[in-house]
Parts: sequence; C-alpha cells; structure tokens
Amino acid sequence: MTDKTPCQLRERDDIVLRVAHLSVNFAVGKQTVQAVTDVSFDVARGETLGLVGESGCGKSTIGRAIMQLPPPSAGAVIFRDQDMTVLSGEALRQTRTGLQMIFQDPVSSLNPRRRVRDIIAEGLTIWGRDNSAARVEEVMSAVGLDAASAGDRRPHQFSGGQCQRICIARSLALDPDVLICDEPVSALDVSVQAQILNLLEDMKARYHLTMVFIAHNLAVVKNISDRVAVMYLGKLCEIGNTEAIYSKPVHPYTRALLASIPDADPLAREQALLDEEPLLQGELPSPADPPSGCRFRTRCPYAQERCAREEPFMQAAGDDHFVACHFPLL
Amino acid sequence: MTDANQHEPLLLRVTGLTVRLNSSHGLVHAVEDVSFSLARGQTLGIVGESGSGKSVMARSLMGLLPRRSIAFGSGSILFHTDNAQEQDLAQMPDKLMRHLRGPAMAMVFQDPMTALNPVLRLSVQLTEPLRQHLGLDRQQARSRAIELLAAVGIPDAAGRIDQYPHQLSGGMRQRVVIAIALACNPALLIADEPTTALDVTVQKQILDLLARLQREHNMAMILITHDLGVVASRADYIAVMYAGRIVEYAPARTLFTSMQHPYTEALFKSIPRINDPSHTRLQAIPGRPPQLINAAVGCAFAPRCQYVQPRCRQQTPPVVEVPDAREHRHACFYPISPGLNREEGDD
Ligand SMILES: Nc1ncnc2c1ncn2[C@@H]1O[C@H](COP(=O)(O)OP(=O)(O)OP(=O)(O)O)[C@@H](O)[C@H]1O
Ligand SMILES: Nc1ncnc2c1ncn2[C@@H]1O[C@H](COP(=O)(O)OP(=O)(O)O)[C@@H](O)[C@H]1O
Ligand code: SF4
Ligand code: SF4
Ligand SMILES: [Mg+2]
Ligand SMILES: [Mg+2]
Repeated sequence: MTDKTPCQLRERDDIVLRVAHLSVNFAVGKQTVQAVTDVSFDVARGETLGLVGESGCGKSTIGRAIMQLPPPSAGAVIFRDQDMTVLSGEALRQTRTGLQMIFQDPVSSLNPRRRVRDIIAEGLTIWGRDNSAARVEEVMSAVGLDAASAGDRRPHQFSGGQCQRICIARSLALDPDVLICDEPVSALDVSVQAQILNLLEDMKARYHLTMVFIAHNLAVVKNISDRVAVMYLGKLCEIGNTEAIYSKPVHPYTRALLASIPDADPLAREQALLDEEPLLQGELPSPADPPSGCRFRTRCPYAQERCAREEPFMQAAGDDHFVACHFPLL
Repeated sequence: MTDANQHEPLLLRVTGLTVRLNSSHGLVHAVEDVSFSLARGQTLGIVGESGSGKSVMARSLMGLLPRRSIAFGSGSILFHTDNAQEQDLAQMPDKLMRHLRGPAMAMVFQDPMTALNPVLRLSVQLTEPLRQHLGLDRQQARSRAIELLAAVGIPDAAGRIDQYPHQLSGGMRQRVVIAIALACNPALLIADEPTTALDVTVQKQILDLLARLQREHNMAMILITHDLGVVASRADYIAVMYAGRIVEYAPARTLFTSMQHPYTEALFKSIPRINDPSHTRLQAIPGRPPQLINAAVGCAFAPRCQYVQPRCRQQTPPVVEVPDAREHRHACFYPISPGLNREEGDD
C-alpha cells in the first residue's frame, strides 16, 4: 500500500464519505480471499456514487466495510471527519447511525413478528429520538405507505416492493447523512423496480441524502448515479462522472461490461463501437489467488507483458475521470 | 389464427392452452387461453413479470407439471415430429412424453443446480441421455459428451468431464446444462430464464452460445425472460404475458415499432435505458402484478392501466389481429394506435 493520496480522491470541503486504501481479506480455510484490495473513493454531499461490477467482485464487502461490519483489514473510512476504523464501542455505534444501509432481500431483513410501525419506531427508540406515532407516520407516508392501513400489519403481508419501502422508511427515520443501497431493486419486478428507483431519487432530494448505490445492472446504476466506480476482482478499474464512464469508457473491462448489455430497443442499437469490442475470454480468477500485476490481465484482450509485472495505479483520463490501466483506450 | 412462418416448416402449434393449478389459497389461473405457433429454427421470446405464468406454460409444453397440481387443463399442443406427423402433446401419456424429452424437445432452467445432480460427475449426467436415447455405448457416449462440453465452450473438456457440478462456476454450470439439453439434438429448446442468475458478461456468452447452436442445428427456441432487452435482439417473435395471457404478440421489430397493448408500452417505459441520461425519471407502473387466484372479471391490467375505460372492468378483451399488420395480435379494447389521440382513463 502506498501513502500517496490516490489521484481520484478530490480536494473538496463537501466530501461526506471518504474511503482510502480500503482492503478486506477473509480467511477461508488455509487460504486468504482478497475480497477488496486498496480501494479509494469519496462521495460529496448530495452525490450518488454507483458501484458496479460482476458478482463476487467485492461490492457488498465494501458496503459492509464502510459500516464496519466487519471493520476492514486495512485502510480508512472517513465519515464526519472521523476515521471510523479507529472508533469502537459507543462512539462507533453513535457515528454509524449517520450511515444507513438497505439490501437486496427486503423481506428477510425485516422482523416477521413485528408490526410495521414498530419496526420503523425501533431504531428511534433505541437512539432516544422522537419515536412518536406522528414521526413514524411521517416517514411512512414519505415512502408511499399508508400508515392507517399498513402500520399494524406484519412484513409477510406485503410484497417485495412494499417491504423495500418499509426498509427505506426504517433507514430514513434515523435521519442519516449517507444511505448505502446494496442491490436494492435486483429482486424486484421491473415495474416495481421503477417505483423504488423513483422513490430513492425523491427521498434523496427530500432528506438531503448522499448515496452509495451498489448494483450489477448497468442501466439501473446509470439512471441513479452522478458518479460511477467500476470494480473487478476486488479492485477499482475506473471511476468518474457517469457521463464519462458510459460514453467514453477507457478501461478494457468497463468496455467489455458495457458491450454485454442487451439493449431493450433493437432500433437503437447504434453502439457500433461497443459492439465491435472483443469479448471477455475465459473465467473469473479466484480472489484467493488473483493474477499478478493487473488483475484483469488474464481476460484482457489488450494485455501486454508489463501488465503481468506491474500493477496499474489510478491515473487521470479526463475531467473527473480516472482509470487504472497501463494502456487505457483513450 | 394462423401465422405465416412461411419459410420454415411448422414445428409447434399451441391453441387455447389453459392451465389452472391447485394451491392452498385457491385456484391459480396460471395460463389462460394461450395460442401461438413456432417454425423450425425460429425463436419466440416470452416476456412478462414474475408470476405471469411463463414457467407454468413452459412446463406444461414439456409435460413437466406434476399431475396432482393441475386442477384443470385444456387446449392443444400440436408438435410435428421428424416424420411430419402431428401429435397432440396435451393428450400424450407421461410414458410417451418421456421419450420425446431429449430427442424432440429439451428445457434449460434458470438455476443450473436444479438441473444438475450435485453428487454425480458430469460424465455420468452427460452420457446417460446419450446412451438411453441414442443407444451409444459407454465409450462412444463419453467421447460424444466431451465433444458437447467443448462445443458449449468448456475449456479442457476432457479434464473437466470427471468433475462434480460444485467445482464449476455458475456460468460453466449453465453451459453444462445446455450441453445436456442439446445432447440428443432436440428440435425445440425451451430456455426458461437461462441467464437471470448470471452476470451480464456471462449472460452474453450464454445467449451467443445458444444462438450459435440454434443456427447450427436449425433448432427452434422459446426464450423466456423478464428482460425485454434480452429478447429484443435475439427473438424473431415476441409474446408479452400478463396474468397468464398473451396480451401482445408480434414479430420482434414490429413489437418495438408499433406496440399496441398498454401493458407492453408501460413495461417498456418503466425500464431504465442505457442510452438515457442519468436521473431520467422512470415511468413506473402503479401497483403490482395481480395474484392469479380465482378468475378475474375484465381486463387483468385494468387496475394499473392509464387508459382504462368502464368496459375494461366488465369484459375480458379477446385476442384480435391488428388490421393490415402481419402476425400482430393483442388483447385490448383500446389499443395504442399511432395518430389516434386517446383520452386518459376514467380514474
Ligand atoms: N406447482 C404449482 N402449484 C400451484 N401454483 C403454482 C405452481 N407453480 C406455479 N404456480 C403459480 O402460478 C403462477 C404463475 O407462475 P409461474 O412460475 O409460471 O410464473 P413466471 O411467469 O414463470 O414467473 P417468474 O418470472 O417469477 O419465473 C404464480 O401465481 C405461481 O405462484
Ligand atoms: N464472510 C465472508 N467470508 C469469506 N469470503 C467472503 C465473505 N464475504 C464475501 N466473501 C468473498 O469476497 C468476495 C467479494 O464478495 P462480495 O463483496 O459479496 O461481492 P459482490 O457483492 O460484488 O457480489 C467473494 O469472493 C466472496 O466469496
Ligand atoms: S493494465 Fe493491461 S491487462 Fe490490465 S486492463 Fe490495462 S491493458 Fe488490460
Ligand atoms: S383493455 Fe382497457 S384496461 Fe385493459 S389494457 Fe386495454 S385499455 Fe387498458
Ligand atoms: Mg453483493
Ligand atoms: Mg418462471
């Protein structure tokens, strides 16, 4: 790990969350899985950062490491000017309420035996905040739940989309600065997915939220994000403003990812550039034994000898656009 | 209702297929009056949200629904076998259906692990259908199995064939399932969400693989998905299902250029599009898909339809042909016609 500040971290005074040199390793038997390695990014107030990459690349692990669930193996998570990785006990618990998380499977993250209004009030009670019926009903109506008819029911009486609304209400009740969404719409039907994405946009405006939005669906991430970070096998490949990442991707992996998306409009398939892109070859390597140098090199159509020897670090590729590749497709 | 499909001989003609299932909550109207036909070598894409009846329909075509769960079934499934005979699969005894599965029609499911036996080596699972249906001996079957694994893009097929399913990645497992499904060269492959559990990069590899194998064997395919994007560029025809019915059916291109059914339009508009700028407001469909318990009166989409009229709640719209269009049908009283200035609904 280097001490040098990675170039993608911005010098701004409205940075709400900063993750620097974050690494998370898991011991699995005798092996060490390097789930996340030396990842750095920041999120400014009111921004939504999208985190994309294939299954197993470490997205959820980053989300949980920010929450210190569990704390990372190395690196810093700076939130409200404090490094959360050095906090413990009460101080950590207090700071953590400023960060809330929602998940892919809303039904199983709700206690099936409790009424909806109690689920939402629970956090407020624990933290000694205003847990009055009025406060609970306010957040319920904000997420589109009718307190009178829904408040006394239990989670199993709701659909997946409604349960996600309950989870969002529960998180927002605590008035967080940052909402971390881990695949929040992946398990929902497309018609309901749109409702939840719109709701998240509305809640973001209403409660002045900053968001980290994790998903593997690139169109969903583009829709909601101001900036996007692309991950492969535990590392960041490319990060920048959404427009740059989607219209001028320079990392070979980002290109391959975008070229794989089926377009719902056969008439709009004028993505000549992307369609010509060489396809990914081979299988994803094991995170227990990642390739030397650039982790993408075993599948990269542009790999050269240097890629095996030397790890690529982030470099600027344009305005608010950074790439970790020796031979970016500029 | 006949489809032109003029270039290739007809393989499958489904007419009025209706399947109602027993459940603890009541009768599930899973498939209602579904009709379509499919020629050799062609792909029919079936799209629809969760619970719209796609899988029940697919399983009933394959004769894979457990008898005891079927409360009521009607309609015909005419299948043209190689010697040009026509057989009604809906009337066929289980014993005969078993002989058709494999050589005539095969199915690939969403979760490859449901199709693979976790405790058997791939070699056993691949050679069994080859020996049973094609009468190959042990050695012939093994070398054919290795060829099949190589054909679906498994590197080092000869080495991999003695592995167990859990030793493979999700994408490789789905390739193995496809290899097993294609072992006996079926005339029809039904792929039920074959890539839903996979990443986009793997999804593209699997769909490209299916398209290539389909071309090589002139195999017809029914590709079931909830992703309009997947069928848009890969299907010849698209059927949109809602609440057990095909609410719109058209050649893929026609469907996108002149969609007629309000549900098709709503579905299309609710999807985030990769070419739209960030923060484009999505046009969500209010409410959610209906439960299929007990018969609904009127159009099943009425509670969510922005064009609903009183008549929609009283009568079930029949399937009608779009005038002057080829093979384009829908089930709506007030279809979307370009140029026609429609009033918004009454509620
Ligand atoms: N064996 C069964 N017994 C009773 N009801 C069933 C059975 N299988 C499915 N159903 C019901 O039939 C309806 C249609 O289900 P089906 O699985 O065909 O939907 P689908 O369109 O394939 O959905 P998905 O996109 O989630 O796969 C649902 O209401 C479902 O709960
Ligand atoms: N608790 C854990 N123990 C061991 N390995 C884990 C654990 N959690 C995640 N991993 C591994 O870390 C890697 C990243 O996982 P994850 O963050 O869940 O990926 P994503 O969310 O991008 O799909 C994977 O290889 C996964 O198997
Ligand atoms: S560093 Fe080399 S292997 Fe890695 S993405 Fe760039 S060109 Fe490919
Ligand atoms: S029949 Fe009526 S309710 Fe049904 S889709 Fe057409 S306009 Fe909408
Ligand atoms: Mg995850
Ligand atoms: Mg299904």
